[in-house]
Amino acid sequence: MESEELDEEPEDNDEFEDEETTRDLVVPGEVLSEDIANFLPGRGTILNKEKSKIIALNIGLKQIKKNYINVIPLRGFYTPRPGDKIIALVIDKSPVKYICDINAKDVGILKPRNTSKRSKLRVGRGSSHQQEEASTEKYEIGDILIVKVLSADRLNRPELTTVGKYLGKRSNGIVISIDPPKIPRVIGRNGSMIKILKNLANCNVFVTQNGRIWLKGDDIAHERLLIDAIRKIEREAHTVGLTDRMSLFIENEKKERGIA
Amino acid sequence: MNIKRIISKIEKNYIIHNLKKEERIDGRGLWEYRNWKIDHDLIASAEGSADVQLGDTHVITGLKYEVGEPFPDVPDEGVCTIMAELLPLASPLFERGPPDEQSIELARVVDRGIRHADCVQTKKLCIKENEAVYILFVDMYVINYAGNLIDAGGVSALVSLISSHVPEGKLVEGNLEWTGKYITGDTIVKELPLVLTYGKIEDMIFLDPNLPEELICEGRMSISVTEDKVTSIQKSGPATFSVDEIKMLCQKSMEIGKKLRKGLDLWQYKVDYK
Amino acid sequence: MPLIIKDEYPTKLFREDGKRLDGRDKHELRPIKMKVGVIHNADGSAYLEWGNNKVYAAVYGPREVHPHHLAKPDRGILRVFYRMATFSVFDRKRPAPGRREKEISMIITDCLEPVLFLELYPGTAFEVFIDVMDADGGTRCASTTVAALALADAGIPMRSLVTSVAIGRIDGELVTDLSGIEDKAGGADLPCAITWFNEEISLLQFDGDMSLDEINQCLLLAKDAMAKIYQIQLETLKNKYITIQQETTGGGQ
Repeated sequence: MESEELDEEPEDNDEFEDEETTRDLVVPGEVLSEDIANFLPGRGTILNKEKSKIIALNIGLKQIKKNYINVIPLRGFYTPRPGDKIIALVIDKSPVKYICDINAKDVGILKPRNTSKRSKLRVGRGSSHQQEEASTEKYEIGDILIVKVLSADRLNRPELTTVGKYLGKRSNGIVISIDPPKIPRVIGRNGSMIKILKNLANCNVFVTQNGRIWLKGDDIAHERLLIDAIRKIEREAHTVGLTDRMSLFIENEKKERGIA
Repeated sequence: MNIKRIISKIEKNYIIHNLKKEERIDGRGLWEYRNWKIDHDLIASAEGSADVQLGDTHVITGLKYEVGEPFPDVPDEGVCTIMAELLPLASPLFERGPPDEQSIELARVVDRGIRHADCVQTKKLCIKENEAVYILFVDMYVINYAGNLIDAGGVSALVSLISSHVPEGKLVEGNLEWTGKYITGDTIVKELPLVLTYGKIEDMIFLDPNLPEELICEGRMSISVTEDKVTSIQKSGPATFSVDEIKMLCQKSMEIGKKLRKGLDLWQYKVDYK
Repeated sequence: MPLIIKDEYPTKLFREDGKRLDGRDKHELRPIKMKVGVIHNADGSAYLEWGNNKVYAAVYGPREVHPHHLAKPDRGILRVFYRMATFSVFDRKRPAPGRREKEISMIITDCLEPVLFLELYPGTAFEVFIDVMDADGGTRCASTTVAALALADAGIPMRSLVTSVAIGRIDGELVTDLSGIEDKAGGADLPCAITWFNEEISLLQFDGDMSLDEINQCLLLAKDAMAKIYQIQLETLKNKYITIQQETTGGGQ
């Protein structure tokens, strides 16, 4: 069973397990600190009009990192950033582009030039000449693609590419969607959580930034177990000790459901 | 572009591949319903109501009455009319606006299953022949769409009728007056028709499609049954059904209908109004 | 033909013992229960029971705007659609949205907009659908309150929540949170809403006849009442997660 890991995303390391993340649940408008001499408003926060308080913008967990107060959101929608690996669904196509649903406020655009796979050909006997041949992949409406975001800004639709390692069309398996903010929890610190999921549930899993997860197991029973496990992580992302509990959960469920 | 949800090919293949092995992603068998959760008489402003969840599909139905003139061809019978609205809050697939084909189909299929089953006792809804009868409005609102609105809607309409408590009126010298009593579900309802909906993909047929199954279905069949009769059938979608398949589904509907009727124990939703 | 039981209003809105007809004191709120995450298809959702009021709210967004000409190139738009079920009122309501519903949709939109950062989402829309399943006075206040909860549940960045209540005058006395009968039979009605980030009023309507002094008093009473309702909103948002935390530390799965 091939292991398909998401490349390390150092800045997106599982913040839920961070020491600096408290278990303090905050809601929009909640005052996080009035000590503005010592703290700065970080992610998910804002200064009030009088610049005397730091206020939470989202529902999430309060985190204090160095002298920044951040809110790790528990709910929210996906905002594309360049470099993100995401799962796209082709919903329309024209000769000049593919239009893809990427679970964001805009659709994503995939241009044919960003789908070409280059293969090297040896030319001549023993020659060190190599010629590159470009072939564009053709996709259909309904195809599931693993893509990378090339560009994304406030005003334009994000541009995507299928050129790269692990990118491209998937022909089997199934895709499920979870809350995008919970994705780091499914990966876990240094991939600890996703390792458990793959090993214990005998499945291939590819977790992407827009909340979509591609998976394929030995059979439907394993796939159901994996989906139930992911939903449990989604539900309990904000709790402590989740990684251990998930190991236990999968072991127990395997026994209960009679699968290896 | 999120008005029409496009199903991915791999999801479609996944569902079909597993259906061939009689497996469904939620672990059900081909002829199994999702979980039913029913609450009744919850709307204070209505004269009967039901809150029904079938899996994640959620329908809230309320019953109101008016008093009006009967139809000329049935001067001693009241009227029961069923309407449905697919609220835009229930799904990104639902648009605002007047009822579309899907809501009209839902209303009509539920209506026909009830109308031909000797369910609503319209003769008991007469105040004065030719002059005044009850008009019952059963209005279904879809709160969350997760496949198979028809079966959930059917039960919600039935439970609204069973839980009803319509003030009893009489005509006194041309004025409509209240007798102080109520007409309740045990007077208004006799038979308990249930509608069962099947999906068909390729040559596989299964009961109670969930949302992904419903979106890739090529055909659907809804069959209403009482304890011993079939009371209405509706085939929709471009797929065709063989005669054997239809016979099999009618047979299955009777069997599953009986089991469901027993399991739901719908008469528990009758209210006593003094 | 009229209905069999007439919608008649009592002449006295206070009982012999000085309480209101439903047993409340002058400034007592009706029982309020809230829940979030009740509509799984929606990006955010909430349900509210306030007295006999039963209201669902669901948020979808940010998403593309239909019809497209309503989209703004430099900011997102907020659209609120308030509807009442036919069976939510004593006299069955026609299914199609009426003028009152359109007006209320508009004032709730204006009420919620100040807490959102619409300039961050150009060309898109946030759509809030509010459906009243049972109405008993103060539905626009209940709707605003539950809509704010649904927006928070969706994870949309907000400056703060919004809370709403109606103060009125019945039989010459100022009371908090009018029920359906009090609303119809009473003298004056002032629904309002507060945005907590700046503690200012974002929804305000008034019908009736009041002295300047009474209006001032109403606003004070409203602030008091809204603070209490705000606590319930906060608890509801947090409880969804706190109960899960408790379950898991209870030594279970």
